[in-house]
Amino acid sequence: MPDAAPLWATVVLPVALAVAAVVAAGFDAMLSGSAERGPAGSVREAGLRALAPLREALRLLVQRPRRTTAADRLLGRLGVVLVPVAAVLAGAVLPWGFRAVSDPSVGIVWFNAMEALAWAAVWLAGWGPNSALSLVGGYRFLAQGLAYELPHMFAITTAALGAESLRVGDVVAAQDGLWFVVWMPAAFVVYLLSALAMSFWGPFEHPVSRDAAGGAAAELAGVDRLVFLGGRWLLLVVTAGFSVPLFLGGGHGPLLPGWAWTLVKTVAVLALLVAGRRALPVLRMERYMEVAWMVLVPLTLLQALFVAVVVLNR
Amino acid sequence: MDLRGALRRTAMTRPAVLAVTLPGATELRLEAEAEVRRRGWPVVDAPAAADLLVVCGDPASDDTPWLDGIERSMPEPALRIVAGESGQLADALDTARRDLIDKAATRRAAEVAEVAHVADVSDEPGGHEHGDHEGHGDGHDHTMGEVAGLPMAERGDDRDELRLDRLHVPIGPASSDWPAGLVLRLTLQGDVVQGVEVDHLPLPPSPRLPFWDEPWLRAAHGDEVSRGSAVRRRCAAHLDSAGRLLAVVGWDDVAARCRRLRDEVLSGASRESIGGDLRRTVRRVERSRPLRWSIAGLGELPADRARAAGVSGPALAADGDAHDRLLKWLHEVERGLEGLDDARPLAPDDRTGPRGRLDGPQPPSRALLDILPELLTGAEFACARIIVASLDPDLDELALAPVSGAAHA
Amino acid sequence: MPDEVIFWVLALVAVAAGVMVFRFDSMARATYALLTSLLCVGGEVLLLGLDYLGVVIVLMMTIEMAIMAVFMVMYMMNPAGLMPMTMVHNKKGAAAICAAVFAVLAAGVLLAPWPSRRGRPSADPTMDLGLSLMGPQMLTMMALGLALFATIVATVVLATRRGRYDRFGDDLKARTPDDAVRGGTGR
Repeated sequence: MPDAAPLWATVVLPVALAVAAVVAAGFDAMLSGSAERGPAGSVREAGLRALAPLREALRLLVQRPRRTTAADRLLGRLGVVLVPVAAVLAGAVLPWGFRAVSDPSVGIVWFNAMEALAWAAVWLAGWGPNSALSLVGGYRFLAQGLAYELPHMFAITTAALGAESLRVGDVVAAQDGLWFVVWMPAAFVVYLLSALAMSFWGPFEHPVSRDAAGGAAAELAGVDRLVFLGGRWLLLVVTAGFSVPLFLGGGHGPLLPGWAWTLVKTVAVLALLVAGRRALPVLRMERYMEVAWMVLVPLTLLQALFVAVVVLNR
Repeated sequence: MDLRGALRRTAMTRPAVLAVTLPGATELRLEAEAEVRRRGWPVVDAPAAADLLVVCGDPASDDTPWLDGIERSMPEPALRIVAGESGQLADALDTARRDLIDKAATRRAAEVAEVAHVADVSDEPGGHEHGDHEGHGDGHDHTMGEVAGLPMAERGDDRDELRLDRLHVPIGPASSDWPAGLVLRLTLQGDVVQGVEVDHLPLPPSPRLPFWDEPWLRAAHGDEVSRGSAVRRRCAAHLDSAGRLLAVVGWDDVAARCRRLRDEVLSGASRESIGGDLRRTVRRVERSRPLRWSIAGLGELPADRARAAGVSGPALAADGDAHDRLLKWLHEVERGLEGLDDARPLAPDDRTGPRGRLDGPQPPSRALLDILPELLTGAEFACARIIVASLDPDLDELALAPVSGAAHA
Repeated sequence: MPDEVIFWVLALVAVAAGVMVFRFDSMARATYALLTSLLCVGGEVLLLGLDYLGVVIVLMMTIEMAIMAVFMVMYMMNPAGLMPMTMVHNKKGAAAICAAVFAVLAAGVLLAPWPSRRGRPSADPTMDLGLSLMGPQMLTMMALGLALFATIVATVVLATRRGRYDRFGDDLKARTPDDAVRGGTGR
């Protein structure tokens, strides 16, 4: 059913992801602004607040980069650059309507492999600057990875199981009629949690949190900081967006064309995550790890078992 | 025409602020926070992210080296301003912004960045990069020598009796959401705190009373102080502490609300105007199960242990962990709501400040500092930050009694 | 033609990164040089048309090397690997073993009677590879997998110093375990 997208889509993809990231960050800045300074009085004021991410990006572009003593600049740079690169590579299998830049037969595993690169990236970014707090942030992310990755893998495996295929296009096609979220709610919720965790954002921002002076990002200035933190938003957009083909029926929906449905659903998931973040403190891994392995892993396994039984009897 | 220059100037119209508070400058800190918030400038928590270093308080000559260190580790264009007196901050920020814009616009393109120091926010007096460890007279012996001027880690047994590396990492005094002037010298294994040494910046004798205790101390001196103003000060102190704890826990939204409420209470907002907002915020914190799940059991301090250590005030009354102390603060704030506009004079023998009894043998914050080592040892770094924030000692109080120097654990 | 170019580029990078594992004097760089080498191998497998295996190699190796970094941090928390260290020990013995292994493998490659292609390549080489590797022995393979997993779990259990009596008291009646760090489920 899905056709290969034309070549220009390859160029459009990073741009589209960046635009989505800026919009999501703007929405987040608006919500933060109203918590800090009260509700915006006028539309102009709200607009100014929503522009904060762009202003911030410009500010970071003007800042001169800096180095720390005895830093491992090669690895540190690599880690910083790897975050947006992993996000865009993972985004390559993201179907826009019914077309993705690429729809390989193992698209779901590809997506998982690319987000695993973020493990390496954040640790490298924390290791590079030779600073204790930034390293603390770096290996906080590894602990986080160990906590979220297993339930996450089971969750996306469940979706693949439901479609009996690892091709993202087939997963979307299998949801013509009944969305997976209806009969795989546990997998969907776990997927959303891990989407936040792998983009180390919101309740899972412990690796870059304020208590360690910015953790893995503590020593990043200027362009480095922009690429790293901007890449984080790209990751969030891509992982949130991937829940649409996996669980929310991709481009399926009445009246509107496929691409519009994808857009609507992606925006809804992103808005849910950004607004839901307000209700939660940061989840620390020494607590979350036990929940992930003792509760979420069995839960996702049961969900997978249920789906497997349904599929076998179909 | 000069698009690059224009962009550079635009970029610095809202510089990112790193605020550092010196002991005795609580009032200036509040003023700076409110002013920066009003302008919508981003507030950051590491020198690497900052353009503008705002020092609240008058730096003594001892302070200049570590402040210089922080300024050096900020990326260009960087600027430091000192807010020494209240009321001048708005002008100082305007000037600073102008200077930053000039600096950014005149910068020579593609200049190679100079090598900065290893700059944790923990750059502190006699910090590791200065190699000045004798000054503290304690057992930092780095047996493995130095590489690139930095001391190597030494090794020691961890809690599973594995022989692992230990790092000495000083935290404070420039960390964000951190008691002004406090320095903790941590011995870290991974991110587990294996040893703590409590220290602080020198506390210059100041004619100013500690800001949070001011009404009670003034009443004790015989000044006329209304009960309402004392209640306001207590509520604001607790909202400040709660905001700090919530920020460390990473619940920025509610932390920001607490800080806004704090400023409104201090600026004399009436009970009717803030009551609803305040109650909603308290309910929100109270009912948050994720918050309870996240910080329950951290820094457990039963009442008998607290009393033995000389702790009075909310930390004693809470009789429990970080979460209990947070709720205690917020409930005291809610109770105080009734008395915000009480014009009757404060009784001169009422000496119960926000952090405990002010007529004890030592200021209440001294006891809070003294129990830090036993609560922090064995905690993970993030938990240690939460425990410190849940006690929130106020170092301004130490200048009250003739206590000086470092308390060694 | 492009396939051949990609093959040689990946092969050379894989070997070069492999050599760098022993040339770097920092454990972090050595770890990630090894990862680079393994990612290139994953690329070669993709080139063979074994999509699933190639991507799984990328996924597993990335996570594996990242976890290796955790252990590195545990035992050597000098950020950026300040103290240079050598990655080579027992140089002569290692060189002899390496040369021998290389000779045996190269001899295998050159001397084995490789079959020539009959018919057309299959649509799903991963499936065929799996079937030809373990098709008739699927039950054995499944049992082996379980045994391996049980071994891992048993090893961890045996290596743990604290058992349930340490955590829940001698009568196992404590409501909350006595742990160094409190977990998230309140058990």
